[in-house]
Amino acid sequence: MNAIKNLFKSLFLLELIKGLRVTGRYLFDRKITVQYPDEKTPQSFRFRGRHAQRRYPNGEERCIACKLCEATCPAAAITIEVEQRDDGSRQTSRYEIDLTKCIFCGYCEESCPVDAIVETRVFEYCGENSNDLLMTKSDLLAFGDELEQQLNVDKLLDSPYR
Amino acid sequence: MVTIEIDGKSYQAQAGQKLIEVTEANGIDVPRFCYHKKLSIAASCRMCLVEVERAPKPMPACATPIMDGMKVFTRSTKALAAQKAVMEFLLINHPLDCPICDQGGECELQDIAVGYGNDTSNYQEAKRVVISKNLGPLIATEMTRCIHCTRCVRFSKEITGVPEMGDPGRGEHMKIGTYVEKNITSELSGNMIDICPVGALTSKPFRFSARAWEMQQHNTIAPHDSVGSNIAVHTRRNKVLRVVPRENEAINEVWISDRDRFSYEGLTANDRITSPMIKKDGTWKKVHWDTALAYAVDNLKQIDSKSVGALASPTATVEELFLLQKLMRGIGSNNIDHRLRQVDFSDQDQAPLFPYLGQAITDLENCEAALLIGSHLRKEQPILNHRLRKAGAKVAVFNPIDYEFNFPVAAKMVVAPNNWVSNLTGIAKALLGNGLIPTGMQKLLADSEVTEEQQAIAEALQTGEKRTVLLGNLATSHPQFATVRALAATIAKLSGARLGYLPEANNTTGAWLAGAVPHRKAGGEAVVEAGLDAYAMLSQNLKAYVLLGLEPELDSCTGSASCLEAADFVVSLTAYKTEAIENYADVILPISLFTETSGTYVNAEGLWQSFGGVVNPTGSTRPAWKVLRVLGNLFDIAEFDYVSSEQVRDEVQALVGDKKPSNTAGWQVPTCLENMASDGLQRITEMPIYSGDALVRRAEALQDTLDADVAGIHVNPTVAKQFNGSEQVQVNGASLPLVLDERVPDGCALIYAGQIAGTWHGNVEVS
Repeated sequence: MNAIKNLFKSLFLLELIKGLRVTGRYLFDRKITVQYPDEKTPQSFRFRGRHAQRRYPNGEERCIACKLCEATCPAAAITIEVEQRDDGSRQTSRYEIDLTKCIFCGYCEESCPVDAIVETRVFEYCGENSNDLLMTKSDLLAFGDELEQQLNVDKLLDSPYR
Repeated sequence: MVTIEIDGKSYQAQAGQKLIEVTEANGIDVPRFCYHKKLSIAASCRMCLVEVERAPKPMPACATPIMDGMKVFTRSTKALAAQKAVMEFLLINHPLDCPICDQGGECELQDIAVGYGNDTSNYQEAKRVVISKNLGPLIATEMTRCIHCTRCVRFSKEITGVPEMGDPGRGEHMKIGTYVEKNITSELSGNMIDICPVGALTSKPFRFSARAWEMQQHNTIAPHDSVGSNIAVHTRRNKVLRVVPRENEAINEVWISDRDRFSYEGLTANDRITSPMIKKDGTWKKVHWDTALAYAVDNLKQIDSKSVGALASPTATVEELFLLQKLMRGIGSNNIDHRLRQVDFSDQDQAPLFPYLGQAITDLENCEAALLIGSHLRKEQPILNHRLRKAGAKVAVFNPIDYEFNFPVAAKMVVAPNNWVSNLTGIAKALLGNGLIPTGMQKLLADSEVTEEQQAIAEALQTGEKRTVLLGNLATSHPQFATVRALAATIAKLSGARLGYLPEANNTTGAWLAGAVPHRKAGGEAVVEAGLDAYAMLSQNLKAYVLLGLEPELDSCTGSASCLEAADFVVSLTAYKTEAIENYADVILPISLFTETSGTYVNAEGLWQSFGGVVNPTGSTRPAWKVLRVLGNLFDIAEFDYVSSEQVRDEVQALVGDKKPSNTAGWQVPTCLENMASDGLQRITEMPIYSGDALVRRAEALQDTLDADVAGIHVNPTVAKQFNGSEQVQVNGASLPLVLDERVPDGCALIYAGQIAGTWHGNVEVS
């Protein structure tokens, strides 16, 4: 009985029609393709893109060199060295994130007790040499300064969930 | 023995033990902050509350003595509720600054808060803030973090013996600190950092340099005093970041001295030399190892081996010292020595196998009477001093300076060095008749007088059963050391005490065993023709010198390097390059320091302790044993093909075999007992605690302590009158500030080592 059924199926190309039906449906459906870079998909305020370091409104850097991000980083992409500043406070003398190692898991942001290291919405960046993707402290801080307004808004949006 | 039940299980324990000791011994976890096994019980933190059957309230385990049939519950609802409540109270005033706290990650409060604390607190009010005090260059404070466990207060009272820390005020107003803001002066103060359960007291030199979780721990042995304290070195990215003690009941218990703890700063000193250098036509240039070694060997070969002398630092390892003596003896010279601060070598053939403490370190704790001859024990050997202090013995002291001790002194004599012999004779005379001594000695003692002071010392020494006589650094460097030693041995014999030596450096003992002495080979076998001793080598001009880890101008009691400057050729195996070394050396072979090499130290009780390298050698430095091995190969000395330091150590150990030192046989009867003649101002020289070797001299934090502030010529006010109130005094051509010091006896001047050129003894010319 089954053999006859299969014979009919292959004779009338039923499988093919089934497949073409799906194709046909998508042909006339609403398109989801985005014309990147002219168009972009919407982003969550928790989007995990390129890192930045933030400052307090008075210009003081937030990072206190607690090294929790370095400890939690599963890819060991963060390198920190600490020094005591002249005023006795604890500051980083070196803070580097190697974006070629980073897996953008967001643990660094999550572990930071002072919201200093954050992941921004920026995902479009490149480097011509591998060294270009080694973000130094000054790179991170400058990037943070640039995006501070957006970061402020994002953090505010996220705050009810933290 | 009593039986108690903890959490439903029965345990046997000694009657009189505290509950927490039983739980500790059986691996049952009871949280605590104020309890420390080496300190008295305060029961102030209340964290160790446990439920005891039939007790109306939870009891603190640290202060509850056990009783037969007692039933204890450490994890019952009642006990847990009590612990949780205490934890909440402790956290009321504790700041939430863990991310910037150096204790973060190794903090007892953090750990216990995770295990026993609550997620939230009922406390909403303002937290207490305490202004931090400056306790000196070693300990950083953040007193807001303090939880008032009073461990540091009890430590300073009970262990250092100097009650510098206190807890004035009550309740919330209680403030731990020195009563008046001042530097902590104790030589054991660094241990406060370890015992502080929170981040209130942390290490100042280490401040912010790393977190606990990113460091690796390596076990090694401390390279300073003759105790051989067990230490752990913490490193990160091939850099030594701090040193902490390792527990060893037989040696250092749980403490280490500040010198052992903070000297690591010297490992990365600015004048550390990292590549071999040779001097040609007065200019230094960096060369390859091959070139430097060949240059050294070629030049040494041209010099008659009898006029080559080797001087080694007693801080070098057994392996290094053994290879150096093998090298020297291989080229046909017995001129090798490590006893840089000794002047009188006349009875060296009778000396024991090595300067032996005469007993185990733990035995010091049980002695009932002790006589210290020429020792500033507290600063020379802080851990041994602690043991003696713990003994609560009747201690008599015989010193050239009226040193302050941190235990009660039963009898003391402060005697100018030239009068030592007659005064020690008096003490021996006072004891005469108590024991058998050689007739020659008996005759010498016969016609001496006994003063009251000498009698008092003799009486103090006759207390109890276990007695000891200890010869310190100032005795070893005394110009009449042989006589002093004979008299000390006589006193020990007459009083039934054990004679002990307090070796000056971590491996003085090992140097004797390895044969780094001119009159004995490795293992203590006498040589046919003894070579020159250190003092002779540094006062007679030899043609060539080989130096191992040494700065003779600072380390030796001749106080100068003029012989080296006059020599034709000087090879210096050193880790540091100073102006003085540049001046006299012709080849510098950079060697690795104790964290970068493997080796063995032998401590005062004769215990061999080997250790491995902790970090890679700095730059192109090489472990000294490797450098010496290659030098030996270049000289074509037979049997010099060692491939590991263990191989060298095993050879020395085989040579020593099971020989044991005997301090009772180690002396000869002197021909006469006469004082040294002295007219004018006598110099007394002490090596300051933080100047004893090249490494510690470069530890910056230690150099900022009060103990390192030793500049000047110290005289008592009577002697000072001759200077007519001038503030600077010309001593042997150098200008030193005049310091009034009541501790110095009449006719003497205390000048700490390393300040002026010139010998440590005899008269000083002042103007």
